[in-house]
Amino acid sequence: MHPGLAGGPFGGAMTTVALAGNPNSGKTTIFNGLTGSRHHVGNWAGVTVERRSGFLELDGNSFEVVDLPGTYSLSAQSEDERIASRYLAGPEADLIINVLDASNLERNLYLTTQLLELRRPVIFVLNMMDDAERQGVSLDLEALQRLLGGPVIPTIGNREEGIEQLKRTLLDVSTGTDPRIRAIPVGYGDDIEKELAKLVREIHRDEKLAESQAPRWLALQLLERAPEAEARVRESHASSAVGRQAAASLAFLEAHLGADGGTLLAEQRYGFAHGLVAEAVRRKDRVRKSPTDRLDDVLTHRWLGIPIFLAIMIAVYSFTFILGKYPQDWIGMGFQWLQREADLLLPPGELASLLVDGIIPGVGSVVVFVPIIMILMGCIAFLEDTGYMARAAFIMDRLMHLMGLHGKSFIPLVMGTGCNVPGVQATRTIETREDRFITILVSPLVSCSARLQVYILVAGTFFRPVPAAVAIIGMHFLGFALAMIVGKVLRLTLFRGANNPFVMELPPYRMPVLKATFIHMWEKGSVFLSRAGTVILAGTTLVWFLSHYPGITNRAWAAEYQSGRAALSALDLPPAEKEARLAELDLAQESRLMNTSFAARFGKLLQPALAPILDPDHTRPEAWKDGVALTAGFVAKEIVVGTLAVVHQASPEAGDGRGKAASLQDVLRRSSGLTPLTALAFMVFTLLYTPCLGTVGMILKETRSVPWTAFTVVYGLALAWGLAWGTTFLGRLAGFA
Amino acid sequence: MSHNQLTPLSDLVPGQEATVVQLEALGPVRRRLLEMGFIRGARLKVEKLAPLGDPMELVIKGYHLSLRREEGSCILVSPAAPSGVR
Repeated sequence: MHPGLAGGPFGGAMTTVALAGNPNSGKTTIFNGLTGSRHHVGNWAGVTVERRSGFLELDGNSFEVVDLPGTYSLSAQSEDERIASRYLAGPEADLIINVLDASNLERNLYLTTQLLELRRPVIFVLNMMDDAERQGVSLDLEALQRLLGGPVIPTIGNREEGIEQLKRTLLDVSTGTDPRIRAIPVGYGDDIEKELAKLVREIHRDEKLAESQAPRWLALQLLERAPEAEARVRESHASSAVGRQAAASLAFLEAHLGADGGTLLAEQRYGFAHGLVAEAVRRKDRVRKSPTDRLDDVLTHRWLGIPIFLAIMIAVYSFTFILGKYPQDWIGMGFQWLQREADLLLPPGELASLLVDGIIPGVGSVVVFVPIIMILMGCIAFLEDTGYMARAAFIMDRLMHLMGLHGKSFIPLVMGTGCNVPGVQATRTIETREDRFITILVSPLVSCSARLQVYILVAGTFFRPVPAAVAIIGMHFLGFALAMIVGKVLRLTLFRGANNPFVMELPPYRMPVLKATFIHMWEKGSVFLSRAGTVILAGTTLVWFLSHYPGITNRAWAAEYQSGRAALSALDLPPAEKEARLAELDLAQESRLMNTSFAARFGKLLQPALAPILDPDHTRPEAWKDGVALTAGFVAKEIVVGTLAVVHQASPEAGDGRGKAASLQDVLRRSSGLTPLTALAFMVFTLLYTPCLGTVGMILKETRSVPWTAFTVVYGLALAWGLAWGTTFLGRLAGFA
Repeated sequence: MSHNQLTPLSDLVPGQEATVVQLEALGPVRRRLLEMGFIRGARLKVEKLAPLGDPMELVIKGYHLSLRREEGSCILVSPAAPSGVR
């Protein structure tokens, strides 16, 4: 039994171990070391913060290790801290492992002073002992054990040193046989202690309140005026007595000690940490600059900092979108092969079409994201683990702050120019919920490479080369500018309340553990498939249905098409020509299905809404086809190109020699009726309207909020309509047609 | 140097050291600053400014921290003569 502490030996089949520690304390390496690869990644209830847990078996005893978000304190201000403090104050955790950065003990011990109040056995892990040694820091483990009231295990997480000892200790503590476990009170000095005692007495008036969490911990939170603790008290029948005492205590302390409760407690906690460090830590005087300082002389240098940052961005970008293109192409080819094989094997009909035109390309459209997601997330995890990510935020913060965003928002937005899907996922590195949400909500405005294909087609068709290039570059600028403006507007309106201080640690540079990076990449890829993937697949199947029905059920058309094919096959033609004519026939059939489909009807319904933008003089008989293409583009914006080809019965590739199908550019120029001005408006609309299905799926996964996802869709549409209309309107005023 | 000469932290220049005297911030910002070590009497040193002039990098309690000038302006410090103390 552990004197003065709850639990041990723990009943039940499983001991739950909470892993707590500061950000950058190497908690993840300890977690990976303890649990190996037996991870489960989920979310904390109701929020978007990842919940990682893993299992471990020691001498027939089972442990569940829960990795809490890294926090500097339990004051429940940020979402991460609320999760950690709620979890730790609740009944789940049987014991706590507190991971501390041995080279930066004093600040790390601040959290420890709060953990000690929770009345649970704590094992202290002094991680990164190698860093500490390099810095000339020596630690008296015996003294620390005595002063902290728990076993202290030195580790080097990234080399898995000390993990075995930690496991043995975990077993001892869980069976209640570790003699080092003792309750250590953090003393706050006579005046504060007296007030705490009074508050605890009042809290005990309501036994339910006193049982809901350690009364002294609640009293401490009340002295800090923590909103969550105050809310808890308000629900109690003893609320007036407790509230009165809290007010009286705060007034007394203010009068006698000259500061508010929060300040006094922080000072006492740092006093405890400082005393402990003074007793147990010896630091050799250091004159030489540390490696981190020398690296930072270059990496955050006044003139070199930005160019180096941009070079790193270009490297990550190329790695993700140029290197990632290869596996993407292979996956694409694989699915095309599958599609062809299925087409040959299956008897023609609705089921075949569902598989060949719906499910297979749908699954393919999900899977092609996986390589770029894994590569980008790997790069970002790598940069984060080296400590460079904090520097990137440091360098870019001024610029991003102007647009109401955080320094860390820069990277997700830049990566969004390759593809918004991993861009949205990259917002995971942004700590505060508000900054992250704003970044997610403006991400779809950043023009991605799929939209580039539409610009190339449209601008290439309606503009001469130089204006076309200007228009395409202009779209990218417009996207970024709008992201800035909308970001600022969101900050000033919907996210106004949040005042998140930009107080960010610049951790020492460290060599990342590649194994951890790979685990991270794997997790990101699989979580994407299971969460966003289902949404995307459902969406593509729906769009298949809308764009094939009811025409696909028309037996007469199907028979006509089949007999046409049979007749062609029977003809004695050179193979190239035969193939071309078959392709032509396919296109005609596809076109017929598409142009009578629900999607086409929907596109026609859209026509009045799009007319002021794309058909201001009501002179274009084919204007409804724009609506069809834009509707289909909801799946992925490059599909706008393919759909335009189908609805116009043209070959999407210019100069495609197969058959007589004219190239799409020629057809658009000849018969679509678009003018350079309305074509520009079409590009603006494509840039801004509803994010593609992949992005919507990712936004839903990352915000876990249907209303916010719907908000993104709706404001995108509104912005697209408004700006595209403005383009046409102003262009006509200026005399363009 | 007289120690009652109070300056906002944001006015310090790189290389300068100081002692925290008072926090003007309220609410969550105040709490965050306290947790990160900005308690009365804490020694700190301004390392550098970001390439665009903001935020600033400091060393406090033996670790490096970045802070926007906006937040630095509500931390009152008493500048110290340079010394080797970190």
